Amino acid sequence: MTRYGMVVDLNRCVGCQTCTIACKHANDTPPGVQWRRVLDVEYGSFPDVERVFLVTGCQHCAEPPCVPVCPTGATRQRADGLVTMDYDTCIGCASCAVACPYQARTIVHEQTGYYGEQTVQEKKTSHADRYGVANKCTFCVERIDDAATLGLTPGVDPEVTPACSVSCIASAIRFGDFADPASEVSQLAKDNRTFQMHAELGTDPQIRYLYEIPGGTPGRMPDAADADDEAMSDPSNPLVGARQRFWDYRAAMNFFLGAMASGLAVVAWLANTAGAMGDSTLRSVNLIAAAVMAVGLFFVFLKIGRKARFIRVLMRPQSSWMTRETWCVGVFYPAVAAGTLAPHPALNLVAALAAAGFLACQARMVYASKGIAAWRTPLVPWMLAATGLFEGLGLLSVAVALGAAHGVALWALAPAGLVLAAVNAALWRRYRATAKAMGIGPLSRRDLAAISPALHVLGHAAPALLYALCLVAGSPALAGLAGAAAVAGGALWKFTLITRACHQQGFALPMMPQRGSGTRAAPERLAAG
Amino acid sequence: MSADAKSSGTKKVPIYCNQCVCGPDLFKVEVKDGIALRIEPNLDIGEAHPAQGRVCVKAYGLVQKTYNPNRITRPMKRTNPNKGREHDPGFVPVSWDEALDIVAAKMNQIRAQGLTDEEGYPRLAASFGGGGTPTRYMGSFPAFLSAWGAVDLGFGSGQGAKCYHSEHLYGEFWHRAFTVTVDSPNCDYIINCGNNQEASAGVTGVWRQADARARGLKRVQVEPHLSVTGAVSAEWVPIRPKTDAAFLYAVMHRILHERDWRALCDLRFLAEDTNSPYLVGPNGYFLRDPAASKPLIWDLAEGKARPFDQFAPGASPALEGSFTVAGVEEGPDGERWQHDAAEAKPSFQMLRDHLAACTPEWAAKECDVPAASIRRVADEFVAHAKVGATIQIEGRTLPHRPVGIMLGKGVNNGWGGYQAVWARTLLACLVGALEVPGGTLGTKVRLNRPADNRKKSVKPGPDGFMHYPFNATTKADWQAKPHIRNAYKMLVPLSANSPWSAALGPAHLPWLFQKNPPKPWPKQTLPAMWICYRTNPAISSWNAPAVAQRIAEFPFTLAFAYTLDESNYMADVLLPEATDIESLQLSRIGGTGSGEQFWHHQGWAIRQPAVAPAGECMDMTDIATELARRTGILRRYNEAINRGSAATALKTADFDYSLDPELPHTAERIWDAVAKAASHQLSEGKEVHGIDWFREHGFMLREFPQLDWYLYPEMKQQGLRFELPYQERIKRHGAQLARRLHEIGIQWWNHQLEEYEALPGYKRFPDIWTDYAREVGRDPAEFPFWALTARSMQYAWGANVGLPLIHEVAQNVAGHDGIIINRTTARRLGIADGDPVVLASVSGETRGRATLREGIRPDTVLLVGQFDHWATPYAKDLGLGSLNSLTPLALSLTDATGSGADLFRVSVRKDSSGQAVARGGAR
Repeated sequence: MTRYGMVVDLNRCVGCQTCTIACKHANDTPPGVQWRRVLDVEYGSFPDVERVFLVTGCQHCAEPPCVPVCPTGATRQRADGLVTMDYDTCIGCASCAVACPYQARTIVHEQTGYYGEQTVQEKKTSHADRYGVANKCTFCVERIDDAATLGLTPGVDPEVTPACSVSCIASAIRFGDFADPASEVSQLAKDNRTFQMHAELGTDPQIRYLYEIPGGTPGRMPDAADADDEAMSDPSNPLVGARQRFWDYRAAMNFFLGAMASGLAVVAWLANTAGAMGDSTLRSVNLIAAAVMAVGLFFVFLKIGRKARFIRVLMRPQSSWMTRETWCVGVFYPAVAAGTLAPHPALNLVAALAAAGFLACQARMVYASKGIAAWRTPLVPWMLAATGLFEGLGLLSVAVALGAAHGVALWALAPAGLVLAAVNAALWRRYRATAKAMGIGPLSRRDLAAISPALHVLGHAAPALLYALCLVAGSPALAGLAGAAAVAGGALWKFTLITRACHQQGFALPMMPQRGSGTRAAPERLAAG
Repeated sequence: MSADAKSSGTKKVPIYCNQCVCGPDLFKVEVKDGIALRIEPNLDIGEAHPAQGRVCVKAYGLVQKTYNPNRITRPMKRTNPNKGREHDPGFVPVSWDEALDIVAAKMNQIRAQGLTDEEGYPRLAASFGGGGTPTRYMGSFPAFLSAWGAVDLGFGSGQGAKCYHSEHLYGEFWHRAFTVTVDSPNCDYIINCGNNQEASAGVTGVWRQADARARGLKRVQVEPHLSVTGAVSAEWVPIRPKTDAAFLYAVMHRILHERDWRALCDLRFLAEDTNSPYLVGPNGYFLRDPAASKPLIWDLAEGKARPFDQFAPGASPALEGSFTVAGVEEGPDGERWQHDAAEAKPSFQMLRDHLAACTPEWAAKECDVPAASIRRVADEFVAHAKVGATIQIEGRTLPHRPVGIMLGKGVNNGWGGYQAVWARTLLACLVGALEVPGGTLGTKVRLNRPADNRKKSVKPGPDGFMHYPFNATTKADWQAKPHIRNAYKMLVPLSANSPWSAALGPAHLPWLFQKNPPKPWPKQTLPAMWICYRTNPAISSWNAPAVAQRIAEFPFTLAFAYTLDESNYMADVLLPEATDIESLQLSRIGGTGSGEQFWHHQGWAIRQPAVAPAGECMDMTDIATELARRTGILRRYNEAINRGSAATALKTADFDYSLDPELPHTAERIWDAVAKAASHQLSEGKEVHGIDWFREHGFMLREFPQLDWYLYPEMKQQGLRFELPYQERIKRHGAQLARRLHEIGIQWWNHQLEEYEALPGYKRFPDIWTDYAREVGRDPAEFPFWALTARSMQYAWGANVGLPLIHEVAQNVAGHDGIIINRTTARRLGIADGDPVVLASVSGETRGRATLREGIRPDTVLLVGQFDHWATPYAKDLGLGSLNSLTPLALSLTDATGSGADLFRVSVRKDSSGQAVARGGAR
């Protein structure tokens, strides 16, 4: 058995960026892309300050969150632990990028050079297959794969060792096989105290950091102020994650329209089953749902990097919620089509189940994005599901008000709206209240707080009030207004969640070298005077 | 993956990198179909290289440097006769023939008129900058200069303020240490006052320091901002700028007055290996034996004075006390004072008296560092020194003193530099840690000869000290008129007179005097031709904007150009050279050199064309040969190559690979001969290799003894002492120089003359910069901040500001994207991170974006590297500021060695005009 990984010594690293640039050479990465990046981090406040250089990059996790989310199988984990990328399979959906809590993945769409047009050398080292797809550190997999042929050992022989490690001028980055107890990395990990970054996320990352300084300086934990809200609100702090840009408004459109459409189909089937809606109306509503969902899916299609091979999205049903979502689409549309052409209760049921599945998949897809603290919170899938149903109900209410859905009983619509408004409001309040405890950073929390009053008014109180009035007055118009408010509220928080409160997981040092000024300085030594 | 990448058919070409003074280091270029693709370290050298073949971040910029679309790849001539920043030069391409004809015609005109002008200044001037690194790229051009005759090499590119000036001059004087470092493989404790080793000591320095830290070395970094070096040190002590000498004086005070110095110091080293026991007479000169003129030492055993060399080891010379002794003092210009019964003290007693008032409490006020910290550092230092310990080095037992002291650029430059370097060297002496394993070492010789061998440069001089080639200050021999425009022989006795001295004199004075000559002073004529190679003084000098104006006044400038830049913007002809990986040269590697370059090996390495030169770019050796031919000095040029001006002598008693002096030779032929001579010399004739062998193998080595890292064994061998603590020769030269200058009416160097003290006293150095505002009619209160700079490993000397790849990775290091300001200070000024800010001094302004950090004193701002480009493509759009736009050229800021410190007083304000470009806006 083999388990490749690295040991990075924080006491050795001087932040020179030689590994960064050597990696760029060895791997031909395009402008702005750094698979191996070294952060320049500062802790404390003058005159008690420490500065640390933190080597970052793909951690080749033993439990990589990027692998199961990949819908195509482009990202895999090998037996030796390497998390690999198959550029020819990847569709550039960015699921892996938002799943990674180490900011390790990039997607570049434009093939440009450092000076604009590529130089002759840039053309020669450009990899057309890497555009529009996810990229990340490979641990220089080609070198490692040469090891067997050449009879060499990764981590020992430089020819078969990652370029960052080989080039490091401080010998701060060591590579090797953690499964081999005799390897240098195993010995370093055994003889020194180490930490794994974000171990609490369960990723079991395969970069271990050394932080002790020999000679009586064992290292220390960060101060409370080092990671307090003020420190983590500073966008210039390299530990703070910026907003992810992989999933933009186009992805949000799918989470909005797709969820609403699937919610609509589910709600309509329930109404039909409860006798609150006729069969023909259900079929009409399902057609509306199919149309809305199609628009959402079209937006997603616009976003993916490699549109021509989008069909590969179906390849990972065993773990990818995106794949499963697509399979649900594959069931929903034929069921709706068949139900329209040859009405049958079973087809209605199939369409409803497919829609429910679609909604559940969407909810889990966001939740599986471990790289975004505001998304990976356990309440998020429940919120997305509840909102989807509420938006679906809302859309149905609008359709009723506009006369596009006949014979829908308001006695069913309005109470359901009241319940869903209450559930959504409760979930939102709980989400906000537990956000900090769930590890959602202050920047994302600020974005969530910013919409909270409007969401409560527009998305919760207004629909509840209007549905209540509707129940009293029996007015479809009031139901339509309530529904519109519910839809608007759903849109508001989902666009916020996907495009605003979407800060990537930052970096953190659970332990650090004891050095710096004032109270942070290393302890005195031999000063017996 | 594209078909061309990572497939077969590639070759890897070994080349050296000497983009900083800590090289050469070795790398390989991966080439396919004639295109350089990638750089990688040359691991073939293995452990013979102290960093096992690694190169730093800069080397990886060389591929992009080669294919930079902004390169000048054809010779150009100027069409606009008006010069200046505001005048587009109107460069148009010309043929090599035409360009060389223009240059050669100018040169031949100079030769016809005479190499020196009516004022005695060379008509040809040249600037190279880069701490000597350009010589590793200019091929045989040094031979051209040697064949030419008088050349003024004294127009600086920032020297003084930008180098370790006091260290260079005093270091070489005291222990053949043009550059000073610590024997980190054997060291346990370092006091580092501002030396940014992790950015400036090369890959060897970084590697060795990392190994030392991992071994447990403790380094205390004393500096106003938390540099990358401070970051990886055990402790950062945020000291007020320019007060480091006070800190070190107080450390010595702690050892010599508060602790039991007799128990802590290396008394044997002080008594036998320094001038500590030399008796000093009432006039401040050594009291000497009247007959032999030898300094006297008081023999405690016999209760009488003896000449210093009449002591057997183990005798008991007095280090303290006061004695009544007969003898003579020898003052300036042969003055003698005969004493029958003078009160004389050992110089060590003088030292203790000198430091009596320098208490930690005194220093605490001066330095803004707690007295307790100073005491603790002093205590840790002496405890780690292990006085009495020994170590076996290559079979020889030597003292082992694992403590060192490093000084940064701004610390040992300009006023206060003498005090700081003296204190540093003396602190090492107190515990016997100078030039011994584990201690403070020199690594390079530039002013003494031979320059390639520190050990051989040790020659006996007067009074038991080493010889030092001072520029004469006696009436008979003093150079009474500048022979080049910076007048180093006239003004700076310590600068000696080696090929490096011109660059180590007051190299900013020509720029200053061209506009504002002092009175009296000989008229400073403009050079008829100025050659600018691999340097950009219009950016890198102090008061760079003023220097740009001076360059514009030159009648004819020949620039070897990579891209357009701020200096060659004023040129008349641009000649495009084949650059780093396009041309051929051999260079020495290993042995001992700048930074921590002390190896167990030495030898030669190649720089060779991995790819064909871009466009019409030509190898510098071929350019030099062609210029020599066209100016009629081909024979002398070839003879200079044969003598070794380009690399090493081609003819010795043992071999003859010399070139036919009558014929022009190709670069290939010249470096083939050098290869043979170098390999012959290295292997003592056993392995002679031509250039083709070097092309394939990259380098050739032989062992270099570790014993040669240390000067101490050679000093003992020759029975010599380190000339510390007492500076009698400095005092005498100062007195004589004062008389000489006053004799010709020069009073404007008087402040500098005060520096020639036998025991340098601490002045309130920060006040010199603060009070400068008054000199130009401004109020010091207008400029409440210190502006400092720090070395950028990513950029320093790399001529790579036009490379976006370097900019991209450099931005990961704080300060490469803006001006570092203390966060609390910035809040007070209403400045947020990323805000455009203006720094203003009495002499200029610079702009950038605020980078708010905690690792900087609230009274200090920091500008990493040097930017403010306005002509260099790409760099001019970065919106990065430069300290060089703020530092005035001024005599009052020039110390006795002819250097200034790289810092200044500034104001800071938010830039309402927002002229700094947005973050990342350049890309």
